[in-house]
Amino acid sequence: MSSLSLPASGTAGHRAMAVIEARRMARHPVFLLGVLLGFVVLGLYFVLVTDDSGVPAVLSLPLLGAFYIGLTTVIAAALLTRSTEVAVEAVATAPGTEARRTLALAAAGIPPFVAGLAFSVCLVVGVEVIGVAPQEWWFGTLPDWQVWSIVLMCPVACLDGALLGVLTGRWLRFRGASAVVVVALIVVTLLGQTPLLETGSSEWRVWVPWALFHTGDNADGTQTLIAGNPAAYLGYQLALGALAVVGAIWHDRTARTTRFRALVAAVAAAAVALFVIAATTGNQDNRDSDPIPSRIAG
Amino acid sequence: MTSIELSGVGKTYGRTHALADVDLTFDRGVTGLLGPNGAGKTTLLRIVATSIAADRGEVRLLGRDPHRSHADVTAVRRELGYLPQELGYPSDMTAFGFIEYVAVLKEWNDRGRRSQEVRRALEAVGLADQATVRISRLSGGQRRRVGLAQALLGDPQLLVLDEPTTGLDPAQRADLRRTLSVLGHRSTVLLSTHQTEDVAALCERVVVLAGGTVRFDGAVTDLVATAVGRVWLADEPGGDALVSWRTGTGRHHVVGGTPPAGADPAEPTLEDAYLLMLGPDADRVLERP
Repeated sequence: MSSLSLPASGTAGHRAMAVIEARRMARHPVFLLGVLLGFVVLGLYFVLVTDDSGVPAVLSLPLLGAFYIGLTTVIAAALLTRSTEVAVEAVATAPGTEARRTLALAAAGIPPFVAGLAFSVCLVVGVEVIGVAPQEWWFGTLPDWQVWSIVLMCPVACLDGALLGVLTGRWLRFRGASAVVVVALIVVTLLGQTPLLETGSSEWRVWVPWALFHTGDNADGTQTLIAGNPAAYLGYQLALGALAVVGAIWHDRTARTTRFRALVAAVAAAAVALFVIAATTGNQDNRDSDPIPSRIAG
Repeated sequence: MTSIELSGVGKTYGRTHALADVDLTFDRGVTGLLGPNGAGKTTLLRIVATSIAADRGEVRLLGRDPHRSHADVTAVRRELGYLPQELGYPSDMTAFGFIEYVAVLKEWNDRGRRSQEVRRALEAVGLADQATVRISRLSGGQRRRVGLAQALLGDPQLLVLDEPTTGLDPAQRADLRRTLSVLGHRSTVLLSTHQTEDVAALCERVVVLAGGTVRFDGAVTDLVATAVGRVWLADEPGGDALVSWRTGTGRHHVVGGTPPAGADPAEPTLEDAYLLMLGPDADRVLERP
């Protein structure tokens, strides 16, 4: 029997484990701190940075949620994963396999996803209430699907943060591993795309786990929308999360069945395909908005 | 059906033979494993608990070879309760939360029945009133009882307890004895301990391990009988005694060796017999009728 094929009563058991893991994440102080910071910073941005034209650089704001909630979630999920493994000798001699425990841990991504979604809703509602400059890349200047795709990158990144944390907790046992992973994630994200942003090949930056689609305000008052297909990129982000889950499950040798290997290959193939689609479709080139007079530097 | 069958079981860590050709069978009832540190007790219990595999020999648990297939080991684990010697605890969980987590792993899927079973297990170890306290705030003894509670979930057919009484006070130990004696009527309980009085009070059978081999396997009374005539109360410590100490009455309890002058024969305890079993005259002890 594959360790991933649950017995008749297994679905209920898996749901119960998933609920426990989701509840643990929802109560985890590191995660709660990240959520608090994310919403406080968003609120401060609305209050302190908004000018007469409205909320500036709106489409770059999902990054705040991804940064504060998503990155702290990496640490929280890694700690959750390691914390039950201290009792491994007892839990490993129960019928549930490590693969099932890992799959249940993936449910710890639900609270961060919900928090990221709430962040995105607050962002959209806040911007609707406060207003934006008519030149701003937002609803009206961009197709709705593109705006929604970029806004929803926040909850997906928060979900991915949890899944990356589970992967980290399963494979990296040294103290501070999750902090090292967070730093590595930031470095890879910055170095992997910054050199490409202003070039004619900017669409190939979308291999990184958080691709920028918006530069913020430029000195001449314009804003640059960077090339690529944000909807496909959203799918790529989800595929990265799925890869993190199967990578974490791979830690359990008993789970490495032929079917599971095929699943890993399929997820990896989907990630590559979505990356290629994200890079080759959608906006072909970087696009500058009309200048917003109040944002012209100097 | 014999619950546990071990034949020719061996386990080696590097150059150390933790277990060497052990042949044992266990059925319903409570069996105590005694032996010095490094005797192989924990290795034996971990093999029975399906935590590790033996390098050699045959292991059958509840009629199954746990390493034949995933289905076999899962079937065994459904009937297994295991308290490891050193069990870590998730610091963010309450006692109830941790036991519930293990209960879910043990396939207690119905929420109502699961909660009821978790409460029962916590009550069995006297922790019902600490159920909502984080494990990190519990004392060492209380944590040990949390570990016991997870092992007791579902009244398992096989209960494997590695030093279950460590950190328990006398009243808690008495409670545990009561719980295990009830379980022993319908389950196979295998426990290791350094507390000979726990074995004397609880177990009908005792296995003494030393150097990875079985030195004694039989009834507790039979082990005690091996020490008859080799324990004395004397005014002086025994010169060549295996061990002797001054008791509260002022007389010396002398185990082994030759009786000091004026010594009175004393009723041996299980501890006396155990010490003699592991002493240099062990072979002579075993040869006695």
